[in-house]
Amino acid sequence: MSQVIFNILYSSAIISLLAVSFNIIFISAKFLNLAHAAIITFAGYFCYLFYYQLNLSIWFASAIGIAFSIIIGLIIELIIYRSLRKRKKSASLMLITSLGLYVILQNFISMIWGDDTKTIRISDVKIGNEILGVYYTNIQLATIFLCISLFILAILFLQFHKIGKNIRAVSANSELANIQGINSNLIILWACGIGSALSAVAGILVSLDTGLSPVVGFNLLLYGVVAMVIGGVGSYWGLIWGALLLGSAQHLTAYAIDSKWMNAVTYIILILFLIWKPLGFSGVRLKKTEI
Amino acid sequence: MTEYILHLLILITIYVLLAQSLSLTTGFAGMISLAHAGFYGIGAYATAILSVNYHLPFILTLPIGMLFCGIIALIVSIIALRIVDDYFIICTLGIQIVIFSIMNNCMSLTNGPMGIPGIPSIVIFGIDFSSKFLFLILCLGLLISFFNILRKVIKSNFGRVLIALSEDEIYTQSTGKNVYNYKVIAFTISAMIAAVPGVLYAHYITYIDPSSFTVDESIFILSIVIIGGMRNLWGILFATAFLVLLPEALRFVGLPNNIAANLRQIVYGIILIAVIFKSGSNFSIFKKKN
Repeated sequence: MSQVIFNILYSSAIISLLAVSFNIIFISAKFLNLAHAAIITFAGYFCYLFYYQLNLSIWFASAIGIAFSIIIGLIIELIIYRSLRKRKKSASLMLITSLGLYVILQNFISMIWGDDTKTIRISDVKIGNEILGVYYTNIQLATIFLCISLFILAILFLQFHKIGKNIRAVSANSELANIQGINSNLIILWACGIGSALSAVAGILVSLDTGLSPVVGFNLLLYGVVAMVIGGVGSYWGLIWGALLLGSAQHLTAYAIDSKWMNAVTYIILILFLIWKPLGFSGVRLKKTEI
Repeated sequence: MTEYILHLLILITIYVLLAQSLSLTTGFAGMISLAHAGFYGIGAYATAILSVNYHLPFILTLPIGMLFCGIIALIVSIIALRIVDDYFIICTLGIQIVIFSIMNNCMSLTNGPMGIPGIPSIVIFGIDFSSKFLFLILCLGLLISFFNILRKVIKSNFGRVLIALSEDEIYTQSTGKNVYNYKVIAFTISAMIAAVPGVLYAHYITYIDPSSFTVDESIFILSIVIIGGMRNLWGILFATAFLVLLPEALRFVGLPNNIAANLRQIVYGIILIAVIFKSGSNFSIFKKKN
């Protein structure tokens, strides 16, 4: 049972980091950016490229992986989303665009690296350490620690840093923010950069633990989106609750029924929440329709 | 060579029917749905299970498949249509993944990832449709009849209300139409029609497994509809022909199979984005000029 609790903690940490990375982009740009999934995958593959194929140190490889992911995120925003926003496309069309982008990037990855699962090993395979009947690896421990600290840092950044405050201002009302002299395009660019960096960290950590395949990012991202929706957009506590609920539901399903039903349970929770509590735990209302 | 061309024509017919059924929800009623491959798969699985396990003829499996798909779509849409816009898209994505995971994991019913082999060929009143030519004629016949049904639906009062609500939902509601009911009915009809290509596909390939009904397939069908023009049934026909023939063309150029598959997806992604760039600000991409 303590193993289940550890697994829940591990999943929830990763999901909460993904949720906050996605949330930063969502609140500022106001559409669900599914191309984010490709950025998560790209981070892992860049890490694989520099660590495994070019034999750099793992720290250096991760840093380059994160940097490249940020660059990809920024390029997508600059070239595609910004001009679409200028043409006043609806959020649904932006979502479809991001799906198209995801298809392009994901197939690009599988064209270069192939469809098979890649593993990145930074130490010899061993059973893992054991405390109180819990088996864990060092990477999992580092993941939990890093994800939680990055999550807190991201929230502090949004709350107190000038750019974070500007991101919140743009998310509350971008026109009013523009009047106050905040360049909303620049702020969205910042949000994309920060979101990409956070998701890249999560992508690399997951790829170190469980390996890489071109579709790994999509599943991870959807967990993040589900956590964000059930938590309620715009509330940080909501994100934590959402991630914890999702992590517990997944691992309790795996423990009680079978791990193959994890995905189905995740989406059933999402659908139930969308129906009975579309505003999530926090109940912060998003403006969807205005008359 | 003739066999090969007939095979491509059959695939195109199946996909045209599939995309046109989605166009009713996405183009005319303005609800972007990513669950369509799921309904297509439900049709295929319904006919496969009924004809392999219970030896029912095609004449019965087709309506049962459609009905079954319709019932599921009705339940799903009653629940899902309470939400709007982006959240509806995410919700349909969730439905798609749940349907896929039932196909993939419910071993006793669907045989899981191994799939269902040995689906018999179609026999109607003693005529065996196992040859490709006859099968194509059957497909075309179904396509033409459903094409006409869709055209009738769109030209009717019902279709006009759908177009109105996709343009301005609140206004349509204010004229006294029950928007929610219209949406549910449109979604259900569209899913029922999507079961038909599923049934045809299952009998044609004679083997189905969950990998044919993934999220990627849903994205592909949606792209056909968007590229063809949301409300343009003929445009969808040409878009389907183009997108189905594209990988074959890439193969003829001499690219290996797996790279051609990836390249095809990259190309349709690029076309999708280009079409969105060219489109108007709301859903109606190729507005019909009256």
